Amino acid sequence: MSHPKLASIFNKDEQKVNWHDKALWFVRHKRDLSVHQVKGWETLRELGHNIKAHTLSNLDNYLVEFETNALKNGIQVHWAANAKEHNTIVHQILEEHGAKKVVKSKSMLTEECHLNPYLEDRGIEVIDTDLGERIVQLAKEPPSHIVLPAIHKNRHEVDKLFQEHLHTKPCDGDPQYLTQEARKHLREKFINADAAITGVNFAIAETGGFVVCTNEGNADMGTHLAPIHIACMGFEKLIPKQEHLGVFLRLLARSATGQPITTYSSHFKRPMNGNKMHIVIVDNGRAEQLGRPDFRKSLHCIRCGACMNTCPIYRRSGGHSYDATIPGPIGSILSPGKDLTKHSSLPFASTLCGSCSDVCPVKIDIHSQLYKWRQIITKETKQPFVKKKSMVFMGKLFSKPKQFERIGKIGRWALRSLPQSMINAKPNVWGKSRDLPKGPKQSFDEWYRNRMKKSQ
Amino acid sequence: MGSRTDILNKIKANKPDKLALPTIDPYIFNEDLDLVKEFTKKVEVVGGNVYPISSLDEVTLKINTLLPNTHSNFSTLENTTGFNTISMDVIKRPHELEDLDVLVLQSGLAVSENGSIWVEDSVLPMRILPFITKHLVFVIDERSIVPYMHQAYEKINDFNFGVFISGPSKTADIEQSLVIGAHGALSLSVFLLK
Ligand code: SF4
Repeated sequence: MSHPKLASIFNKDEQKVNWHDKALWFVRHKRDLSVHQVKGWETLRELGHNIKAHTLSNLDNYLVEFETNALKNGIQVHWAANAKEHNTIVHQILEEHGAKKVVKSKSMLTEECHLNPYLEDRGIEVIDTDLGERIVQLAKEPPSHIVLPAIHKNRHEVDKLFQEHLHTKPCDGDPQYLTQEARKHLREKFINADAAITGVNFAIAETGGFVVCTNEGNADMGTHLAPIHIACMGFEKLIPKQEHLGVFLRLLARSATGQPITTYSSHFKRPMNGNKMHIVIVDNGRAEQLGRPDFRKSLHCIRCGACMNTCPIYRRSGGHSYDATIPGPIGSILSPGKDLTKHSSLPFASTLCGSCSDVCPVKIDIHSQLYKWRQIITKETKQPFVKKKSMVFMGKLFSKPKQFERIGKIGRWALRSLPQSMINAKPNVWGKSRDLPKGPKQSFDEWYRNRMKKSQ
Repeated sequence: MGSRTDILNKIKANKPDKLALPTIDPYIFNEDLDLVKEFTKKVEVVGGNVYPISSLDEVTLKINTLLPNTHSNFSTLENTTGFNTISMDVIKRPHELEDLDVLVLQSGLAVSENGSIWVEDSVLPMRILPFITKHLVFVIDERSIVPYMHQAYEKINDFNFGVFISGPSKTADIEQSLVIGAHGALSLSVFLLK
């Protein structure tokens, strides 16, 4: 289904949309307060951007350096070209050790590869341990946000889910109680797990180690209890040196939630005595994206979610309307590279206001890339007849100023004089769930000419 | 090895021309922070508490008043054997630490700008300790606070596992309301030695 269709489903519950909109804007606001306190924030973003750009330009060598050092550290390194290979590798590791119970901390990559159903089909229990992820897992839904996976659910829905699955008492959606119960429930899972899977926030070529950031402590509870740790990373997670972590850890949490740093920034370098540590390096379309000069910068992304929180479309259409692992503005430039036809509506789910590019901690030109995808999609996929015709018509209109002025006059008159029922009639999509402004008497052009006359 | 060569070749073919690696000049960010004041403020922002002390002897006494009636305590500080109710020598599996109430750790590195404290496994008898304990207490010398992450990484050398911890564990995954105490520690206290 296209983005507009899915968005209209989300929009049925107006109260929820309003809450969703405000809640995310609040997170964006916290980000603002936090970053404005950092002296040299723009320099920091610039550094983040340039370190990533440099890394991508030398990525093959850095990956080899990382692999060499990781092996020296006693970490086993695996390479996966696509989701299927990734899943097979993870399953093989688990099978070799007879691991049946797995705890997983947040990893968008394993979502992208659909690892959970793959393992579950093979008799392995996979428990998502981030609270938000556990909530959506119980609801059998994908996350709707990369940092706040259950932002589309209200407390009463969580209350009901927990009553059903964790046998909690009805609590009118008390977050304190629900979190406590989740802690107990997941504590038991941690204690009994045979293996822990995590994502990777940053992998360091120089040291062969990697960093995982969480607020809940779930990645650490999993990895330090279970004898096997499998870390899965898209290859763009690499950075050259440890000192670069100083830049990225300063950027990440402030951009994500406004915290000065996540509660836990865990640096894994060598496995504990007797334990096993594996890392799976995944391509799955990334090398191809690297080959697209207009879009390769999308690989700079550090998954902070800021572009989602700020996006006026995302806030009002919800993460599920994007029908992609990574929703929001960044998802809309990553997804078409994977499947242009399936995701052809996503680059249009934007006002091109540029707010995403403004908040992005690694300065990805998100809105310009959205615009570039539009050019490609319009050429390469079939466009609706009406849209095609109206584009030709508008093109002609805009090229003739006199005619444009005349039509503008009629338009403004219509907006002033026609009855509401006609203005908001079905063919006018701009009038859907929205009142159009009263048409002003003057056009901008006229106002400007008058002003010039007066000032002369 | 799987697809190693394929992936690397594809990257080599698709990567852009080499771009320069920027150098980080930490001076750009410098605002002459009052390190102790800023650190204290940030620890409080992230949900922890800071208590100034003038001698290590005060630590266990203070803990007993802050967190009375705990059953399972462990400290890595010297001369606190009377405080410890468990011995790491008899613990075989990290799982046995599940009921740990209070853990006291010493750290030699803390960061002013974000209230985080660095712990690495050279001071950790078991990696799970700072996560599985209910209450986490750090003892830090004021002089080990650095202004920013940049300076912190200059001080970190080799380790097997290390972690920056900033406040107690927390989540806001239910309707964005902040709850302290997710999977890790329920509280974090810092004793700051003058
Ligand atoms: S594109 Fe930028 S703002 Fe969006 S999630 Fe990635 S790093 Fe954050």
